[in-house]
Amino acid sequence: MVEELAGPIALVGYGLAAVGPGVGIGIVVGNAIQAMVRQPEMAGVARTTMFLGIAFTEALALIGFVLFFIA
Amino acid sequence: MGRDQRLEKGTGLGVILAAATCDPAEDIICAPANVLELFEFKTEILGIPGFTRTTFLIFFAAALVIAFLYFGLRKRDVVPGRFQSIAESMVTFVKEDIAVGIIGPEGAKYTAYLLSLFLFLLVGNLFEITPFVNFPITSRMAIPAFFAIVTWVIFVFVGFSKNGFSYFIDTVWPKSVPIALRWLVGLIELVSVFILRPITLAVRLFANLVAGHLMLTLLLASGWIFISSVGDIGVRALIGIPWFVFGLGIFVFEIVVAILQAYIFTLLSAVYIQTSVHPEH
Repeated sequence: MVEELAGPIALVGYGLAAVGPGVGIGIVVGNAIQAMVRQPEMAGVARTTMFLGIAFTEALALIGFVLFFIA
Repeated sequence: MGRDQRLEKGTGLGVILAAATCDPAEDIICAPANVLELFEFKTEILGIPGFTRTTFLIFFAAALVIAFLYFGLRKRDVVPGRFQSIAESMVTFVKEDIAVGIIGPEGAKYTAYLLSLFLFLLVGNLFEITPFVNFPITSRMAIPAFFAIVTWVIFVFVGFSKNGFSYFIDTVWPKSVPIALRWLVGLIELVSVFILRPITLAVRLFANLVAGHLMLTLLLASGWIFISSVGDIGVRALIGIPWFVFGLGIFVFEIVVAILQAYIFTLLSAVYIQTSVHPEH
């Protein structure tokens, strides 16, 4: 069974690396929406912070993307 | 004309024209032999060595930004015209929301760098969805990598010049962390601040634009090929319609991505500079 599978294992690695950031970005955006709805006057701050949070959470997926090219 | 020549000519003219230059009688889905053909242009313009289409677009983007700022801010009327007010709102957005808003009052002097960064990346990203250009110059790693290195040099230089050598010590030996964990947090911070920051900054922009360019090319080109080869394959050409419609949906989505990624790159550059100006926060 296993020897029938062919292709770069890095593809599987990138898929695994994308799971965590996917969940993380969901949490970040969900909480940011809650903050914006509860305090619309602070929506600007929440939006900026949300993009920052997304950017930092994304880092792991991006490292996985790079490893895919390196491997 | 060989297959490779046709593809190169096609990608040179853009996505939709690329589809038209494929020969549907031979191969209906004319995928390139190598995906790099969508991103590399070997033909040199005017015979100048190294002056390819990508190089031309880089200079063109720079010229567009310079012209936009020059003509937008040339007259400085008290009651601005339409063009001047667009240029002024751009400058105000970068200055108030990004430079001063993130870095603080002393961030105003970084406005020049952040504004050039934002406008150049915005133009470069929007080339992705500009008809007859259809190629984001930021999907070549050289551009994001160069700007990430410039940002890295700026925030490391600012960190050392504002705080002396304690900038480095505070990063690898953070006082706010319990002593037992301090070496571990310091190690993570060392890798994250000095190595991963520029890499992720560059790769984020690069990856988003590569993915967008690939999706647009695949969907629009293959949809168009199916539709345009209706004489050869008959009713089966209808399968091209949902692909083309889906491609147009992605097209709208890519406008958002192009603007957002330019904004995020500038925002993160400002945040990294801010962490060097006020390292304790």
